Amino acid sequence: MNEKILLASAVFVPLIGSFATPIAGKISERLRNGLSLALVLLSLVCACRLIPTVISGRVVNLAFEMPLGLNFVITADCLAVFMAATSSFISAIIIIYSFDYIHRYDNRNEYYLMVTLFLGSMMGIVFSGSLLFLYIFWEITAIASWRLIGFFREKQFVIKADKAFLITVFGALAMLIGFIIIYQSAGSFELADIKKAYTTSHISSLALILIMLGILSKSATLPFHTWLPDAGVAPSPVTALLHAAVLVKIGIYAFARLFISTMSISYVWEMIVIGLVAASALISAGAALVETDMKRIIAYSTVSQIAFIFLGFAVNTEAGVAGGLLYILMHGLAKGGLFLCAGIVEQGTHTKDITKMGGLIATMPVTAVSFFACALSVMGVPPLGGFFSKYLVFSGTINAGHIGIAFVFLAGAILTILYLCRIFNSIFMGEAKVAPAQEGSWLMVSCVASIAFISFLAGIYIRYPALFASVATQQMLGR
Amino acid sequence: MMSSVLLALTIPFAASGVVLIIPNKPRALKEMLSLLAAFATLALSLSFYGRPASASFDWAGFGINLSFRVYNFSALLVIATSFFAAMLLMYSCVFMRGRENTKLFYSLILMSVGFVNGGLLADNLICLLFFWEALLFTTYGMIAIGKTNAFKTATKAFIIVGIGDIFMVVGAAICYNLAGTLRISELHIDSIGLGALAFVLLMIGALAKTGSMPFHSWIPDAATDAPLPFMAFAPASLDKVLGIYFLTRISLDIFRLHQESWASYTLMTIGGATIILAVMMALIQKDYKKLLSYHAISQAGYMILGIGSATPAGIVGGIFHMINNALYKSGLFLTAGSMEKQAGTTDLEKLGGMATRMPVTFACFVIMALSISGTPPFNGFFSKELIYDAAIERGTVFYLAAIAGSFLTAASFLKLGHAAFLGKASEIRPNIKEPPIIMLVPMIVITAACVLLGLRSAIPIRLILPVLNGYISAQEPLTDFAPNLSLIAITLVVLTCALLNHILGVIRTGSGLKAVDHIHYAPLLHSIYDKAEKGIFDPYNIGTGLVKIFSVGAAWCDKAIDRVYGSLIPTAAETVSFAIRKIHNGSYKTYILWSLAALFLVIIVMFNGLK
Repeated sequence: MNEKILLASAVFVPLIGSFATPIAGKISERLRNGLSLALVLLSLVCACRLIPTVISGRVVNLAFEMPLGLNFVITADCLAVFMAATSSFISAIIIIYSFDYIHRYDNRNEYYLMVTLFLGSMMGIVFSGSLLFLYIFWEITAIASWRLIGFFREKQFVIKADKAFLITVFGALAMLIGFIIIYQSAGSFELADIKKAYTTSHISSLALILIMLGILSKSATLPFHTWLPDAGVAPSPVTALLHAAVLVKIGIYAFARLFISTMSISYVWEMIVIGLVAASALISAGAALVETDMKRIIAYSTVSQIAFIFLGFAVNTEAGVAGGLLYILMHGLAKGGLFLCAGIVEQGTHTKDITKMGGLIATMPVTAVSFFACALSVMGVPPLGGFFSKYLVFSGTINAGHIGIAFVFLAGAILTILYLCRIFNSIFMGEAKVAPAQEGSWLMVSCVASIAFISFLAGIYIRYPALFASVATQQMLGR
Repeated sequence: MMSSVLLALTIPFAASGVVLIIPNKPRALKEMLSLLAAFATLALSLSFYGRPASASFDWAGFGINLSFRVYNFSALLVIATSFFAAMLLMYSCVFMRGRENTKLFYSLILMSVGFVNGGLLADNLICLLFFWEALLFTTYGMIAIGKTNAFKTATKAFIIVGIGDIFMVVGAAICYNLAGTLRISELHIDSIGLGALAFVLLMIGALAKTGSMPFHSWIPDAATDAPLPFMAFAPASLDKVLGIYFLTRISLDIFRLHQESWASYTLMTIGGATIILAVMMALIQKDYKKLLSYHAISQAGYMILGIGSATPAGIVGGIFHMINNALYKSGLFLTAGSMEKQAGTTDLEKLGGMATRMPVTFACFVIMALSISGTPPFNGFFSKELIYDAAIERGTVFYLAAIAGSFLTAASFLKLGHAAFLGKASEIRPNIKEPPIIMLVPMIVITAACVLLGLRSAIPIRLILPVLNGYISAQEPLTDFAPNLSLIAITLVVLTCALLNHILGVIRTGSGLKAVDHIHYAPLLHSIYDKAEKGIFDPYNIGTGLVKIFSVGAAWCDKAIDRVYGSLIPTAAETVSFAIRKIHNGSYKTYILWSLAALFLVIIVMFNGLK
């Protein structure tokens, strides 16, 4: 019973509690900030408390009976808890960072409401055991991210928020139709029932295409990725939260949940997905090399790295899936860190154009070093954690026999090195081109420094996340 | 025993951390601490030799363990690494004084020592790669500390070596797929099919670390931009130690290179080309450090040629040469450092007559220059002769490349020595004298090692020989490296020719610096040299050019996709709604007509259905 309470509170406390943040905001700023952080931390603690249970192989289920197979089910297995712990952990750091970042702008009450609501619905997505509720939570994240991207109410920014909203929502609607097709053949929206119904057969091509539309648009993969760089107009903690750490991982999570642990896809579709993400990896990496807006570069980098995660899952081998899971963790941390560093730089220099910056390492040493460490992790350079996830994805790809694809992604990894070196050098090295900016507030700086440090620890102590990931993998692959 | 092995990593790492956080003053504190750590590591590593040990800890699963193995070869190289680190830190203590970021520099050097030791002792491919790739950021840091724009060179080094490392990651993944283990001492893979691919990928990584062509072009840039001790430390010694170590491991243990295999020919070709092309560039340099840096590339060619020959003499010669080169090349860089510190420049046009001002530096230079040119009885002679033996056994063309390389090496060092130390005394600074004793000691020790390894060349060869265990069957006599007298004779003739060439050049031009101008400005060569100097042949420039074209294309694709959302879909939506608005003109007649038409359609469909 205790575990069921943990599970329910991981989802519902932030989801419902988020609506209390504006009220708290009326009373005091600090109360609201503290409440928001407490809600997210509670989710984190609940998720972490569930780890020993799920690692031992047990699955926690909580269901409310509803007619027509519309039961509300939340389930905690390894995959769900891994995702929940990862995203709530990164979100907690981002919220702490927001305390200092956001306090100078308007609409703070809405900001904390949306961020907390977003995290709550993210929890809903990962724990959801029913396709219908997965869809509902999915749309709540779309609404929250729409408000957050348009946080600065300028006309151009709102248009970009609309673009992100429209692309992801149209994708999600297509996905809903796909879910209904599955419902027709399985007679239920519940994942457990669907799994039983699809033990011998693959998912139908039409349903797969429709669901993939939703997944690819949410996870910003070619050809539905262009909203992500545009969404860089949001405040930096938002871009870190949505576009690096959490939001874009939703699509990947759905892919893993639906097409690895519940149903299977045929070899042809597997190859099509792999081909698509390979193109996504290369084209977005190339775009990142040309772009001059620092947040857009990092956003393109996200698109490119997402492709690596997709690859790990799509090849469907043990090493690949475990690598994909670890990649979610490592990339979430590192990319979140990059966006947060970019936020400090942006507030210091009042520009996002990398051609107008330079030499900032002299005045912002901690930010620079943190940025460098996070960049190393994204590149996959040890001793940062990204090294292992990148290797495992390659290993999984090769175990699946896709040697040619491995080389395409090798080119992608080389481009990653190139564009991250480029952005680091233009911001932090060389001649100073703007008035020397000061380091951000100690709270913001310590947030990015701790993200960098955690990425480093994740490399040294890779044993623990890797153990979790491999147990989750075995559960997902049913071995 | 194993815990003391781990100390070889933890001492440098801990010291590196402590050096970074202790206050800047007093200056001696961080210097003493770094030195202490380096000498402690050296003392520790000396205890490893002859005491094999191994240990393994679970790490990331999927065959990835944190495992270490001490055996004769790795122990020998750990000793070498620690020795160089100690010598160079000692030298840096004086050399780096008065510069910025010295603390960071010491810290990075110590960290690199830890990583290199980790790489040498690792017994798991991923564990090795973990330490190996981590050197990327220490390299970046140490170069970037140099001049203001040194970060560009640092990036170049980072990218070139980083690309090699990613190839290795994929290579390791293939090895795991084929062998089901990542444990290096258990990995044995046939180099056919996928195995061949894995060998090539791992080889690329090893060559990139060694600095052979085409992964060389950051080294000459670093010579001018990076702090000098870095040059003596990484491209001259540690990178070679690590790269050649790994090349040996993959060639002998993992893939079993055969003499008639394509891999052997590929390696020898790369080696031969690297020797010739790099030394040709060295010949025309007019800067002390830059000239040396091209030799750091060229000498790597000898090692690769030796190991690639897949003959016992070649392999032993290659490894012996690696150690010799690390000695004299780092030592030569230190003499360049004396010049930079005391005379304020390394530009050969401005230097001259330093032999009388810095007799000790000059003596060290002469001995090490003789070593690198392969003159008996110094160490370089013995390793080069072994490589010549191997080369001529495998093909005359490889031997010709090696011996021509020797000629040019000797010629360029004659030029360098003449221009810097002899001739008219330069007056760039008054009262130029020997550098402080702390800087001289490492130079003298390294020079002495060059002499010792030459006079007692049998000892190092005997220490290296066990590397061949398991590779060469036990029946073959392993110690039989009888000197090939005719080859020695040829070597001596070639060296004499180099001397004559120099004398001729000096007589013609009247200057030591211009002694090789007749080669530099030879008809066809002249234009090639010009292009090479401009970086037209630099693989890095070519590569970045190609990537730029690709990325512009990719960005165009991306923009095209964005147009679909930005204008195509909105335009389509507007057009449709405009059309619909047009049809809704408010006239009842139209609406009734539509309704009738629709009714008609329904009726037709229904009737069709009834049939």
